[in-house]
Amino acid sequence: MTDVVIALCPALFWSIYVFGWRSLTLTILAVGSAVGFEYLFQYITKRTITAGDMSAVVTGMLIAFNMPVTAPLWLPVIGSAFAIIIVKQLFGGIGKNIVNPALAARVFLLSWSNIMMAFVQPMTSISPISVTVSSETIDVISTATPLATLKTGMLDQSLLLEKFYGFIPGCIGEISVLMLLLGFIYLLIRKVITPHITMSFILTLAGFTFLYGYLTGNASPFEYMLHHLLSGGLFLGAIFMATDYTTSPFSPSGKIIFGIGCGLLTALIRIFGGYPEGVSFAILIMNSFIWYLDKWTRPRVFGGNPEKAEKKG
Amino acid sequence: MRRTFLGGVHMNEHKNTAKSPIETITPPEYVAIPMQQHIGAPCKPLVNIGDTVLIGQKIGDNPTALSCPIHSSISGTVERMEKRLTTNGSFVEYIVIKNDYKGAVSSELAPHTILLGDTSSEKIIQKVREAGVVGMGGASFPTYAKIQSAIGKASVIIINCAECEPYLTINHRLMLEHPEEIINGTKILMRAAKIKKAIIAIEDNKLDAAEKIADNITDHSLIDVEVFKTKYPQGDERQLIYALSGIELKQGQLPADVGFVIFNAESCAVIYNAFTTGMPLVSKLITVDGECMKSPKNLSVPIGISFKDIIDFCGGLTHNCDRIITGGPMMGVAQWDLNSVAIKATGAILALPALTETEPHCIRCGRCVRACQMHLLPALLAQYASINDFDMCKELNIMSCVECGCCTYICPGKVPIVQHIRNAKQELRARQALKK
Ligand code: SF4
Ligand code: SF4
Repeated sequence: MTDVVIALCPALFWSIYVFGWRSLTLTILAVGSAVGFEYLFQYITKRTITAGDMSAVVTGMLIAFNMPVTAPLWLPVIGSAFAIIIVKQLFGGIGKNIVNPALAARVFLLSWSNIMMAFVQPMTSISPISVTVSSETIDVISTATPLATLKTGMLDQSLLLEKFYGFIPGCIGEISVLMLLLGFIYLLIRKVITPHITMSFILTLAGFTFLYGYLTGNASPFEYMLHHLLSGGLFLGAIFMATDYTTSPFSPSGKIIFGIGCGLLTALIRIFGGYPEGVSFAILIMNSFIWYLDKWTRPRVFGGNPEKAEKKG
Repeated sequence: MRRTFLGGVHMNEHKNTAKSPIETITPPEYVAIPMQQHIGAPCKPLVNIGDTVLIGQKIGDNPTALSCPIHSSISGTVERMEKRLTTNGSFVEYIVIKNDYKGAVSSELAPHTILLGDTSSEKIIQKVREAGVVGMGGASFPTYAKIQSAIGKASVIIINCAECEPYLTINHRLMLEHPEEIINGTKILMRAAKIKKAIIAIEDNKLDAAEKIADNITDHSLIDVEVFKTKYPQGDERQLIYALSGIELKQGQLPADVGFVIFNAESCAVIYNAFTTGMPLVSKLITVDGECMKSPKNLSVPIGISFKDIIDFCGGLTHNCDRIITGGPMMGVAQWDLNSVAIKATGAILALPALTETEPHCIRCGRCVRACQMHLLPALLAQYASINDFDMCKELNIMSCVECGCCTYICPGKVPIVQHIRNAKQELRARQALKK
């Protein structure tokens, strides 16, 4: 788990650079309260304390990464409380939760939609410590998130390259694809995750959006596809949330099917659903299938299935 | 590419004794020799209390059934016979012999003087039986019966020198110190089983031994060395065959069904010695090691010597010793009683410290799945077994688990996976038995 924290750090540093120290404040609050709530819950219910195992740190970081820098300081605390107590511990703690806690918290926090959508341009100076950020003092662009423009069919103005290295409005941790990819490579090298889920997720979304752009007569389906790939926290979701051990299948084929499912659902939600944000819902929906995926895609037993062999012989 | 198989784990090898030559232990005052050290019917004692016995003298046999004779490992007097409880819960008769320290060898033992080429297969098999040779890899199947079952079916002999378990180095030492015994023993086995091809299987962490053996082979078209990637459990019969041929043994199939028969290195050496000197299997080669053993060694010990005598010879135990294990740390069996004795199947005695106790929890990382040589889902098996959902365990092919321990070894959540699986298998077997 420490490796995952390390892998998330480039994105964190980048967000501090782009959005200022308030990114760090929010992250620290989310991490601190995630670990704190886990400890408290386990202390009160007299379970073994596992709050030190870094898993809550990862959850906390991901929760903060999924909010805009303008979020009030109580938001990460509420998010962590929901993720740790309701999604994780009430289901029995690490390894037993059904959906990814950080993702569930993000969806839960979306009920404060005006807060969760209050994005600012990079390099806007915001107080790192004031509890709330008033929209009068800064230029909030809540109406036109990159994905929202994509949905209406117009390609947004920011350049693809800026989206790639992450100089755009967006959530703290999701803006820089480059930084997230660094983390991905680190996780692969350290063998923390395998590439199956991330790759099949991204490739499916790429294929689907390219085809859709092509079929609907988009002038540049390739560019349309790239905008889809570089927007809306796809890389954050595909690298760090969809690959969560607890909520992804065991076998390689199961992982690939899981990734394809995530990719397809993301595309469908984004294009046909009434909602620009598809990644979170797609992963959450696929999370609920892992029990079946594990059973369907389990590896062939060495020497063949004994039951069948018995019947034959 | 070195030959290998899918799954398994790379372990911390702990081959601390790889440079320790095989020593012969000082003879103990007593040996207690159990009348069952093999799969098959127990032996009936051939001696009475008060009898004088000599080294190599047959003291137990059961000619009527699948069995294997047992010989005295020291010279002395039969002091008593007693029934003792074995680790699997049954009672076995032990012959306790007091050493007279004369080291007198039975006069009935004589070298085999006829040329191997003129000796019939039946004669060799008879001789192998009389020498009391059994498989020494743990299962202790009588070797003569294995040869008989392989005749006409198997076309390749594999001599298993993989020695893939951590700590164990005794086969490594045997290969370095007595390569000719292994090779000549292999030749005898080939003649007995009427097989024209033998492969000596060695892992690539013992290249010096592989070289030594290869140098001593005269005709490489008959006997050859194959080197395998070092990975546990390469020494498992299924994975040896798979790595060599790509054939997967089905559940219930024996190696001979797909053309192979597997013997271990020490059996070859014992057979060779039985032919050249007449001495049957009366002493055993073992590795004595573990973090809690004061001075680890490779030893040749008389069968029936107590663990206590062996451990004393190795300087005793350190204070933090928690477990004594016979065999490798992965497949070995924990022992509670230091009066237990070394038998034909004993390959190692390890003294290990306590494991750090942590609350086990599965984080579903999937490492056990990748490590499982039988391609099962150990995490789910453990989970269903721990909530007693045995039907689900069965559906997930729990019975194919060979209890190699890879999953437990690799698990970052310290889940005692194999323990859960063993319980469930036991329960399922009991149910099966009830149905019948
Ligand atoms: S290795 Fe351990 S923690 Fe990982 S999935 Fe298997 S049982 Fe769970
Ligand atoms: S003990 Fe059983 S489940 Fe575990 S790795 Fe070995 S065969 Fe697979």
